[in-house]
Amino acid sequence: MYRFFLYVILVIIYLGLAKVLSPTEFGVQYLQNEKNFSKVFKGNQLTAILIDSHATGFLIKTYYQKYRVIYGFQNVEEIIVRTSKEFAVKNIKNMGMSLYRNNENIEEIIPLPPGSLYIGNREFGQWKKIKSGKVKWTFYRVYKNIPRYLGWGTFSPDMEFYQKMRAEVSLNQPFYGPNNEFGLNGKITKEHFPHFFTEQRTKKVEFKTLFIDYFKENF
Amino acid sequence: MAEIFDRLLIRILLTGFVCLMIYLYRYAHVLFYPTVKRQILKKIHPAENPADTLHMFSRLVGIALIFSSMTFNESSGVILSVFHFVLWGTIAVILYLVSLYIIESVVLYNFDYADEILKRKNMSYAVVSLCHSLVMAYLTRTILIEAENSLVILLVLWLYMLVIAGFSVKYYHFITKLSFNRMMIQKNLAISFSYIGYSLGAAFIISSCFDQEHYDITIYCIQVLLKTVLALIIFPLFKRGIQKIFPIKLGGDDRMSTHFESDQQSLGYGFYEGCLFLTAAILTTMIVNKIQFGTIYPFF
Repeated sequence: MYRFFLYVILVIIYLGLAKVLSPTEFGVQYLQNEKNFSKVFKGNQLTAILIDSHATGFLIKTYYQKYRVIYGFQNVEEIIVRTSKEFAVKNIKNMGMSLYRNNENIEEIIPLPPGSLYIGNREFGQWKKIKSGKVKWTFYRVYKNIPRYLGWGTFSPDMEFYQKMRAEVSLNQPFYGPNNEFGLNGKITKEHFPHFFTEQRTKKVEFKTLFIDYFKENF
Repeated sequence: MAEIFDRLLIRILLTGFVCLMIYLYRYAHVLFYPTVKRQILKKIHPAENPADTLHMFSRLVGIALIFSSMTFNESSGVILSVFHFVLWGTIAVILYLVSLYIIESVVLYNFDYADEILKRKNMSYAVVSLCHSLVMAYLTRTILIEAENSLVILLVLWLYMLVIAGFSVKYYHFITKLSFNRMMIQKNLAISFSYIGYSLGAAFIISSCFDQEHYDITIYCIQVLLKTVLALIIFPLFKRGIQKIFPIKLGGDDRMSTHFESDQQSLGYGFYEGCLFLTAAILTTMIVNKIQFGTIYPFF
């Protein structure tokens, strides 16, 4: 019993020391759930877009998420956070979506298409009538790079998109676009945030191929 | 041809220097063991006292191990290189002898060299002493390599290594079923075989813990400590696993006891324990040092 007690103490000491020294403990913040967004992402006029999600570990998994944080008046940055399993799994369907927005200290955590913070905001752009008669949102010249960071490509939101989005927000519902263009199954997300959808991540491991490759490489 | 001859000459000169260090060691041995002054400074008669021969020449093996880690870089100038070789060789031998003295004071504090080796010709004592020589030489060699020609780092690592080695030899009494002091007095070789396995295993583990890249001495020391604690966790698992796979039976009773009916029985158990400790230790170094997890920092 005495030896077992000593052994348990040793294991605890090891785990404690290893945790303190682990490189993952340096610089990677823990985002338990959506309530902690404001502790991780600080600033005004910012939107945090989930661009990748990843789990490491064999038996005990550690979950990470990668966010692209776009600030109204600062440079864009990409931040990796450690997160809980529940939060990581829950937000897989929100890949490429803006999960957090801060506008003049008013916070929003409903998943919306990227750039929803700026659409309709006169500080960043304006509604313009195009030839087809539709009214589309265009950023001012000084913010011309924002659509690229948002992963819009050729997409340009119109008034209908904006109104539907605001209607869903008022119902506290996530919005994936009128034709589900955004999110895990969204065409625009797949095109502009392809890292998460690469074949390497999604393909199933076939043991036969794996062993053949192994023998080819090593013998 | 002249260049080749010059290089050969340098090698012969360095061989001469190593021989000189060994010659000086004769006197160092007298410093540590003044009672053997007469025997050491005259001709040695191995047949008269094999225990003393083993005790003395084990030190030489240790010195040879240490010198095997020394490097001579002619490109920085022969005079400077020779000076570096002489300085570091001397420091290494001094550290080795002092650490040997300290570790023997810790383990064999109940025994006196003059009584055990000169009077009683205790081979068990001599074999344990041989273990200490090999272990301390191996560890001193490791820290010499890790210090990378920095005297300050060498001293820090040497002190650190001594502390870990000191704890490891005390740990032996915790895991062996043999009574160290009693069997040593009885000149029972079982204890020496068990101790050989344990101490060599401990040396492999400690050396593997020190064997890692270092950019910052504090982080390096904590990493060494971390690996040592990990080894302390893994080693008993291997030991217990091997004991389960190869259960042993002594005499008519299959329950283990520290009282053995015959010398043969105790010797057999000594072999078993020695091999068990050594095997578990070597496998522990594999688990502690050779498992690569790749980068655990999330780059994705």
